[in-house]
Amino acid sequence: MNASLRRIAVAARKEFLHIIRDPQSLFIVIMLPVVMMFLYGYALNADIHNAELVIEQPVPSPAARVLESRLDGSPFFAVTQILPPSSDPTQVFRARHTRALLRLPPDLDAGLRRPGAASMQVVVDGSDPNVGAQMRAAVEGATQKILLDHLNMKPPKILDQRTVVLYNPQQRSALFFVPGLMAIILLMISALLTSIAITKEKETGTLSQLLITPLRPREIIAGKLLPYVALASLDGILILTVGYLVFGVRVAGSVTFLALCSLAYIFTALSIGLLISTLAKRQLHAMMMTQLATMLPTVMLSGFIFPVSSMPMVLRGISHIVPATYYLQIVRGIILKGVGLHELWIPLLVLCAQGILLFMISVFKFRVKL
Amino acid sequence: MTTSALNVRNLAKDYAGEKALKGVSFEVPRGALFGVIGADGAGKSSLLTILATLLDADSGEADVLGLNLKNDFKTLRQRIAFMPQRFSLYPDLSVAENLHFFADLYDFETAEKEKRMADLLRFSALEPFQKRRAGLLSGGMKQKLALCCCLLHSPSLIFLDEPTVGVDPVARRDFWKLLKSLKSQGITLVVSTPYMDEAKLCDTLLLLHQGYVLSQGSPEEMLAQYPYALHRIHGSKPLHFSARQTPPQGVALVYPAGGELRAATAKDVPDNDLWKQFPGAESSGHVPPDIEDLLFALLSRESTNAGQTA
Repeated sequence: MNASLRRIAVAARKEFLHIIRDPQSLFIVIMLPVVMMFLYGYALNADIHNAELVIEQPVPSPAARVLESRLDGSPFFAVTQILPPSSDPTQVFRARHTRALLRLPPDLDAGLRRPGAASMQVVVDGSDPNVGAQMRAAVEGATQKILLDHLNMKPPKILDQRTVVLYNPQQRSALFFVPGLMAIILLMISALLTSIAITKEKETGTLSQLLITPLRPREIIAGKLLPYVALASLDGILILTVGYLVFGVRVAGSVTFLALCSLAYIFTALSIGLLISTLAKRQLHAMMMTQLATMLPTVMLSGFIFPVSSMPMVLRGISHIVPATYYLQIVRGIILKGVGLHELWIPLLVLCAQGILLFMISVFKFRVKL
Repeated sequence: MTTSALNVRNLAKDYAGEKALKGVSFEVPRGALFGVIGADGAGKSSLLTILATLLDADSGEADVLGLNLKNDFKTLRQRIAFMPQRFSLYPDLSVAENLHFFADLYDFETAEKEKRMADLLRFSALEPFQKRRAGLLSGGMKQKLALCCCLLHSPSLIFLDEPTVGVDPVARRDFWKLLKSLKSQGITLVVSTPYMDEAKLCDTLLLLHQGYVLSQGSPEEMLAQYPYALHRIHGSKPLHFSARQTPPQGVALVYPAGGELRAATAKDVPDNDLWKQFPGAESSGHVPPDIEDLLFALLSRESTNAGQTA
């Protein structure tokens, strides 16, 4: 066997031993994706569901009764209270936990009989802009529809408008966050763990021993990378499995192509970690630098949460150098749209180029002296 | 071979704005057990790390095993070993796994590797502890394991930076026995230590102080340079002498040593009831100086000289 490859294998085996000798860290690395998926899947759901709604009703009336029961029956709202009219609606928001207040007029039934005569007010808590906007649209839309039904009327039709939602027709957020989590978790595991792995050798002084052995810098680095590629791949498989079993996310495209693209992304992420670890002197520095250089831009600027197109120019520029931006295009393309190399070769090429460049810089930067 | 193992010429190094080495020159013959002694901060670690190719000197030259330190460091790394001050093996790996790892990095045949490992385990008496994690070994055993890992590739020269610091006295003696036996195999050893009693075990010494060479030579040669006559002052109770007190008339230097005092006088001064000048003392007599006494004498002369020139 080639001597250099043999030394890489020896270094990789040693790194593998380090990983299994630290079961606590290993457990975290394996459980973290699962915990994060459940968090994103259930707790961090941005869609409104059972949002608290208070109705201000001066006089009981049939229309008000219908409105109240059908709003409460919808999955979006929970009518928590019916109040007599008050002069200051902000009091309601201060005193009670509610997302919106629907203020009905005293003459609702009479007003409804004369077109254009009825009026009512919707007061929305806008402190969370996303929830506020959703509440506003949902309450306005729902009341119109309920009252039209109640009057046995159909909305006037000015044009025949048909909207078709592709790839995620039910607009489930799981289909959106599972690919996103692939980008986040693979990066976190790969970059963070490698950045610590080499800095640890510096900090404990073992690097001085390694440098005197025949191990070349590129062999030290490659030996460090291999076990973490395996670990990150394991996490990728875990995310897809949980995504399928728990959240019903199927991979629409080729799983093999997804695996290949993910390996390219893992390689790029590992190279970021490596570069940081060749620069940082202490494990703590390496961890903080990795957080700053990977997690922050990936969560904020890759399009994981906020669309890149709505970012200001400077941030959009930065998002073009964040590897996750490209990986997200790929992974969403494969999982949701079922597209392949023909459509995704550009982001894949960028990702590979970034990985190779970063790897070469870290080999070049690796100091053969202390 | 005629070339020496180490030929160091005017080596200097700044470390974090401080001058760690201020132009150090010395030579070490092949096969020597060479001791670098000095207090903490004398520059021992910097010197050894530089000579072990792990740190660049700011100026000066050195030939190690006939190879230029600056230009041939890659070749040199195959022929030397370095045992750093801190335990630098993998604590989560067992004794055998640590040895295997380092052995596997060299191109040995399997049989050759097994033989070397078995020899080293026997040599270091670590055979019964092969399965134990390195982090759980005692201080002395850790150092033996580190030495074994250094020896795997049969280096001709080994640098050991304070190998016995933090090791109990029995284990220290054991460790020095191992060093002696390596020397008998013709391996050159360069050992730094802050312990003056270990200095006597070396063939040649380099006495470092604040980055420069205070004295060098064999222990006998160095002790022959001792400029005073040394007396022990004994009392039934422990005697004290503070550094701020002025020594009595005719005495150059007084310092405590294990409950007694040591007093250095000019060479021709007879003992003549010297003890009477020290309160609480009951007897006195000549003692031969050791390396520590020499260090104190040289240092006190340095500070006097510095005071005169200032």
